[in-house]
Amino acid sequence: MRRVFIILALFAVCAFGQQAIKVGFIAPLTGPAAADGFSALQSALLAVDYINAHGGINGVPLELVYYDDALSPDQAAALTRKLIEGDKVVAVVSGSYSSTSRAAAAVCQELKVPFVAAYAVHPSIVQVGEYAFRVGMAAQIQGRIGGYFAVRELGAKRIAFLIMNNDFGISLAQAFKDAATSLGATIVYEKRYPVGETEFRDYLTAIKAADPDLLYAPGYYNEAANITRQFRELGLRCWLMGDEGYDSPKYLELAGPAANGVFITTDLDRDSRRPITQFFLKAYEERTGIPADMVGASAFDAVMIVAHVLRQAGTDPKAFIAYLAELKNFEDAATGPILMFQERTAVRPMQIQIVLNGKFRHFYEYGPEEPIIYYTYP
Amino acid sequence: MGQIIANAVILGCTYALMAIGLNMVYGLLKILHVAHAGIYTLGAYVGLLIFRTLTKSLWPGLVCAMVAAGFAGVAIFHILYKPVLRRPRYIALIASAGIFAASQELFRLIAGPYPYAFPAQFVFPAIRTKFFYLTSTQMLILSFTVVSFIVLYFLISRTKIGLAWQACMQDMDIAGTSGINVNRVITLNFFLGSALAGAAGILVALYRNSVFPTMGALVSYKAFVVVVLGGLGSMPGAVVAAMLLALVESLLSAAPWFEFPRDALAFLTMTIILLFRPKGLFKR
Repeated sequence: MRRVFIILALFAVCAFGQQAIKVGFIAPLTGPAAADGFSALQSALLAVDYINAHGGINGVPLELVYYDDALSPDQAAALTRKLIEGDKVVAVVSGSYSSTSRAAAAVCQELKVPFVAAYAVHPSIVQVGEYAFRVGMAAQIQGRIGGYFAVRELGAKRIAFLIMNNDFGISLAQAFKDAATSLGATIVYEKRYPVGETEFRDYLTAIKAADPDLLYAPGYYNEAANITRQFRELGLRCWLMGDEGYDSPKYLELAGPAANGVFITTDLDRDSRRPITQFFLKAYEERTGIPADMVGASAFDAVMIVAHVLRQAGTDPKAFIAYLAELKNFEDAATGPILMFQERTAVRPMQIQIVLNGKFRHFYEYGPEEPIIYYTYP
Repeated sequence: MGQIIANAVILGCTYALMAIGLNMVYGLLKILHVAHAGIYTLGAYVGLLIFRTLTKSLWPGLVCAMVAAGFAGVAIFHILYKPVLRRPRYIALIASAGIFAASQELFRLIAGPYPYAFPAQFVFPAIRTKFFYLTSTQMLILSFTVVSFIVLYFLISRTKIGLAWQACMQDMDIAGTSGINVNRVITLNFFLGSALAGAAGILVALYRNSVFPTMGALVSYKAFVVVVLGGLGSMPGAVVAAMLLALVESLLSAAPWFEFPRDALAFLTMTIILLFRPKGLFKR
């Protein structure tokens, strides 16, 4: 009789005790994007530690189940299926690029599990359906902000484009171009370069001859660092403007002093006094030994938002997406307050940062009163 | 225009440094040595290590990178290729591709996935004229390439071991029966070719100011295009093909109307030239 009681007691502990809530995570931990995958994963784990140190999901610990998608959409889709069907995760967070995130989002939509992309920018990700969300900035908003800033604030009339030839670069450049031309700027040069390109001197020589006021070069930090160095080496005399892909301490290291005076659009403001931003920047550097970047901050925020929604709405997918779609003024995000979700994409004040003495510094902010920060004009 | 050509010549030098080693291996063993690009990455990492830990000067790093790369090349031959020399060549090719893929992940595991900057200080003259400007890094690449090719030329054509090497190129079995130590020739061949690849790695790392695990990926196939273009096994062919490819790439990609990516261009050029000269530009 006593033994039966013990067994029953054990059952009770299992049933009502600390059965962790699982959230799935994919990121490119190997292959060409391994550096971003590392940032994203470490930041997501940091968020999980933070959440569990602050009471978990209403007393239940949060657990992150993560896999390496190796930047392959096939693998991302298969692993997302495995996360949902095998690991029984209640939501999936992507710390990966646009192509892999889109593949994962499609699987989540099919299996009706909430999906949150951290920093993938392509419009098509949230268009797979009502289960796909995005915490990072949509390309439309970011590119548009860049275009407005270039023409309105910097007074650029002649603009040259050097565009990374993938989802990321093309969608940013398109939005930038639409905004800039609608304000009266002209395009004097446009060129796409492949991901992984290292030699930009030919393009830049031609750009120099076209004599623009500003060069917009959307891309990732490896390529951007080469553009920046070669831009200075060839003595171009115009503004250089980039995007959140530049937002990494590695960009500053690789580009060196050449980066001084480069503008970027981003959502991470390192000069922000918000406690959660400063906590993230400090904790990330303690954890990994390197300074934080935008990719990491977005992954941190994605997990923070998922945890918040799980606390408020529970694990039911329908309740989850209904709550997230209506979420307003979410403050616990390292990349600044998230004002609202429009078309399942986060809307937040937008930062223009400038590189000064090897640091990203606050330069300009488009706040909630600026209609251009909204996904669709309200 | 002058600037574009000047930059193209430097780009060509980096291609040629890689291609020459590949060609030396192919000429002797008829093996497509994919792992050569791994050695290139190794050179960059060794140079970086010396630079970050021992000295802020470039030269010790360059020497160590070349020596380390040379020994790595020799090790690849003795461990990987030698046991399968009598087997079909695709076995060595697969082994080579395997070791290259593994080396990329190995670099990532040891040094981390992030790219490192390589801001080595060195004194070297730069050239500025009305038509073009070559930075001191570019001048270093140019002079290193020219000097090493001249040294290589004299080594091959004027020394005893060079003669032995030429004999092995023509027929290894007969060279062996005439008393040439074939093993030694191949070892030296791998050492020299790999040392040049290591040097290319560190020079390009300096040029781009970055060292990262997958830096060899692009080079691995670009160098092959150069080798095939110039004619498999032909040294002068490889140099001319490297310059030609760099020039075509640079001139075409500067034009805004040209929408084709630079790296696809390499294969397009190769396809067109091979249509007319199936054995490469310089092979009779």
